[in-house]
Amino acid sequence: MILAQGLNLQWGITGMVNFGVAGFYAIGAYTGGILSTRVGLPPELAIVLAAAGAGVVGLIVSLLTMRLREDYFAIVTLGFGEIVRLLALNEDWLTEGPRGLKISVRPFDFGLTNASYALVYLGAVAFTILIIYVICERIRSSPYGRVLRAIREDDVVASVLGKNIVRFRVQVFAIGSIFMGLAGALFAHYVQNISPDTFMPMIAIFIWMSVIVGGYGNNRGLLLGAGIVMVILEGSRFLGDFVSFVNSQQLASIRIILIGCILMVVLRFKPRGLIPEPKFSSPFERTPD
Amino acid sequence: MDFSTSRRRILTGSAIAALGSTLSPRLLYANDAISIGSLTPNTGGGAPYGGNMAAAIRRTVDQINASGGVLNRQIKLTQEDGETNPETATRAADKLINVNQVIAILGTWASSVTLGIMPKCQSANIIQMCTSSSDDIPIRDTKGLCFNFQILNPVWGRALGKMAIDRGFKQFKLMALNNDFTRSILTGFEEAIGPGRLLEKPFYYNANQASYKAEVSRLLEGNPDAVFIPAYVTDFTSVYKDIYRAGYKGQVITVTFAASEPFKKAVGAAADGILHGFPIPPLDSPAYKQYLQEAGLQDNGQIQHPYGTACRDQISVLALAIEKAGTTEAEAVKRAIYDVSTGPGKKVVYNVLDGLKALRAGEKINYSGAGSAVEFDQNRQLIGRDIQLYQIRNGRDEIIATLKVR
Repeated sequence: MILAQGLNLQWGITGMVNFGVAGFYAIGAYTGGILSTRVGLPPELAIVLAAAGAGVVGLIVSLLTMRLREDYFAIVTLGFGEIVRLLALNEDWLTEGPRGLKISVRPFDFGLTNASYALVYLGAVAFTILIIYVICERIRSSPYGRVLRAIREDDVVASVLGKNIVRFRVQVFAIGSIFMGLAGALFAHYVQNISPDTFMPMIAIFIWMSVIVGGYGNNRGLLLGAGIVMVILEGSRFLGDFVSFVNSQQLASIRIILIGCILMVVLRFKPRGLIPEPKFSSPFERTPD
Repeated sequence: MDFSTSRRRILTGSAIAALGSTLSPRLLYANDAISIGSLTPNTGGGAPYGGNMAAAIRRTVDQINASGGVLNRQIKLTQEDGETNPETATRAADKLINVNQVIAILGTWASSVTLGIMPKCQSANIIQMCTSSSDDIPIRDTKGLCFNFQILNPVWGRALGKMAIDRGFKQFKLMALNNDFTRSILTGFEEAIGPGRLLEKPFYYNANQASYKAEVSRLLEGNPDAVFIPAYVTDFTSVYKDIYRAGYKGQVITVTFAASEPFKKAVGAAADGILHGFPIPPLDSPAYKQYLQEAGLQDNGQIQHPYGTACRDQISVLALAIEKAGTTEAEAVKRAIYDVSTGPGKKVVYNVLDGLKALRAGEKINYSGAGSAVEFDQNRQLIGRDIQLYQIRNGRDEIIATLKVR
């Protein structure tokens, strides 16, 4: 959900096609893991610094590429995601390469049992999602958000009206990257072992699906979309405990087929997502309640 | 029907979902059975083996339950697909541990998966049983909970290196796919041949490349007597095509995974002459023959289900250890695993039912398995396994040497 909120800010609201979600997610995960395990920082601080690190990388990537047209920008971000993964795979001294980085410390750990730790972590992540949701909503509904939507609809018009579109885009890309890095660091400290295989481009596809199914440009919609995609991906595991005629191998395929079907159905009947972005209407067009 | 959303509806829905997810696991899964999980690679890179690994565990559990269970309790087996992917596997392991409340997770195959779920298993005190061969496994298993039913890669690599030297090759070049499995086999091979026989420091290549020409031309520079390329079948097929096109006349050596049937089909007669090696089940053991019967296979003298056999051993040893320990508590079971599998002067049993009967009669047992003799060293690694070296001749594997690794 955090990744989807980051992507929604970049693509849903501002119109920047970022296929490199997995790259920023990986940067957050590895930075967080390295800072807490190798450098010995408290894991909570490592997570915050990892988010900041991803933001800085996002800033640099966007500064270098922001003048590219949409489709070229998309290809560059896709390439960026792969570069990060290959660096993680080949730079053993830093990331332990294909062996995977073991993260031995756990954040928010107050000597809890395993089951209650999972609940505490869930609470911490839910709280983070809430905060990011509030930030994204504030951005969306502010005058700043209106400029972003104007850039998405037609950047020439926005720049003719005197808006510095490059500055806006760079800022939004960096903020989205911060969220993605934060998601990566939270994930890494939860699973406690990350390897380059974890950050395949497939992750970006799931996040894109979440935003498309939920409704791009709408922060509430994408929470629903990400919820649906995750329930299908993870919830279908529980099906196997009750249904004996489907084995785990078939379930793995059914999972992907279901997501594909839902995407097609949603796009056919609700092309703008399950909860579409509210259309702007001018005060003059509004009818009295 | 009104599908519109409102803040109130979303809040109510989320509250119900959150409440449901906290309560339901305990209500749904609480019972007296011993809960055990399997996390086999049913899809992804391990897919050719995952199916029969999962089936072997299921069959053995059914046998145990039909004969009255362990400690008079039935075994409740939950099987998940690890998709040969550490990320998916970690989530599946999370479910097995927190929802199904398993006491052990069996059947992990890729080292990345075994290592990936290890932190979760260690913090929840869950026993792991795997057929993964990264030499990192005993190092990262700080609580001593992970029992490995495969020899470690360096041992495998050393055996292949020794067999290569025995065949008279003097100069080598080595290149491996950049993953944990293939890199550590390469390390073992490098140790066995020694630095004097190496023309250049070994190097790695990344998977899924459009072409491997640059890597192959570096590999063949200096025209070595033999090249060793531990790899997976998809990338080895492309690499070998480039080696063949370059007209290399020396000896190509790899692991049996890489030179499996899909490779032979893809390259045809060009595959002839390749040497490859693999740790094999004890083909003469009664346990292996019983496994073939259980799986409905004919004994054709060839290796069948190299990992399915190991999975039969995993669940058998675990069940016997629980019976021996008299509890499912991890520390006691861990010690009992040695009691029922390792050491001389005990009654040798070849299947779980005979083992349970002997234990109940108060006898000391040593389980000898279908995949190996199942004897562990103090690091919970197999003490030995047979490794076989093959050469592809007329599109078929012919055995040219067997090495007993101890």
